[in-house]
Amino acid sequence: MKRTMLSMAFLLATGLLFAQKKTTTSATINFDATTSIDKLPKAENKTVIASLDTKTGKMAFEAQVKSFAFSNPRIQNHFNNAGWMDSEKFPTSTFTGAISNLKTVSFSKDGVYDVQVKGELTIHGVTKPVETKGTVTVKGSSIKAAADFSVKLADYGIDGPAVGAGKVSKEPSISVVAEF
Amino acid sequence: MVWYIFTEKHEDTVMVKADYTVNAPAFIKEFQQNMTAANKKYSEKIIIVNGTVSEIETFDTTANIKMTDTISNAYIIFAFQQQHMGDAKQMQVGDAVSIKGSCSNGSFSNILETEYITFKRCAVNK
Repeated sequence: MKRTMLSMAFLLATGLLFAQKKTTTSATINFDATTSIDKLPKAENKTVIASLDTKTGKMAFEAQVKSFAFSNPRIQNHFNNAGWMDSEKFPTSTFTGAISNLKTVSFSKDGVYDVQVKGELTIHGVTKPVETKGTVTVKGSSIKAAADFSVKLADYGIDGPAVGAGKVSKEPSISVVAEF
Repeated sequence: MVWYIFTEKHEDTVMVKADYTVNAPAFIKEFQQNMTAANKKYSEKIIIVNGTVSEIETFDTTANIKMTDTISNAYIIFAFQQQHMGDAKQMQVGDAVSIKGSCSNGSFSNILETEYITFKRCAVNK
């Protein structure tokens, strides 16, 4: 009986140690919609939930829109209002997808691997297919996934007056980092 | 006036009067029982949360502290203000702490399959 319990505990421990689905609750997304006439619309969200399945390459992100922190309180209010992200109506932005060239990544060997990520990005209640390049950095038991890309706000139905007036970039850059 | 708007910044949270003081377990429960009502009550309010540190997630430019309900795995996560990250990095799992911050939102995570509440611009409540 004791041996059975020890075996079960060992299996559970090794299963947790080598779990294929990695998660973090502290991924970051930096958002930069600055223009030549307004340097304020940029923010950072440091409490993004992310997952990475090292066997299948599947990735997912969940970001609360209200968690984007701006230095300027007025810009933060504008960001959450109906003319922009409308966070009351669309509180969460998500990405679900996968690394499409997973065979080139070795999660058991230290290195920086170039990856191609494909999936669906949902912002402002609109879901669009996206594809971007990124990197996966393996160092010991740590895995860091990073990607930089841009989105066209018009594709996601965001066309408030600040965008039209050139105060908010029509194509903000987004930088995502998740450490597992 | 325009200059004022452009140079306006969020105050150091330490200096801002809190709207509510809560205990972490009861606060999590309030969100679990009625997420919509809790978000309406607490979102974008300055709140002091008293509780026990369950996890510390620190990276180069991040210092996040978590308080977790051990039964449901629901959690509160506090992202510290730049100038207060040092305080967060000194905390240890199991510490009883008091944290002041701006409550962003509560939600259900489809990835983690649990409720969570996020805070930004946090500092140790002294």
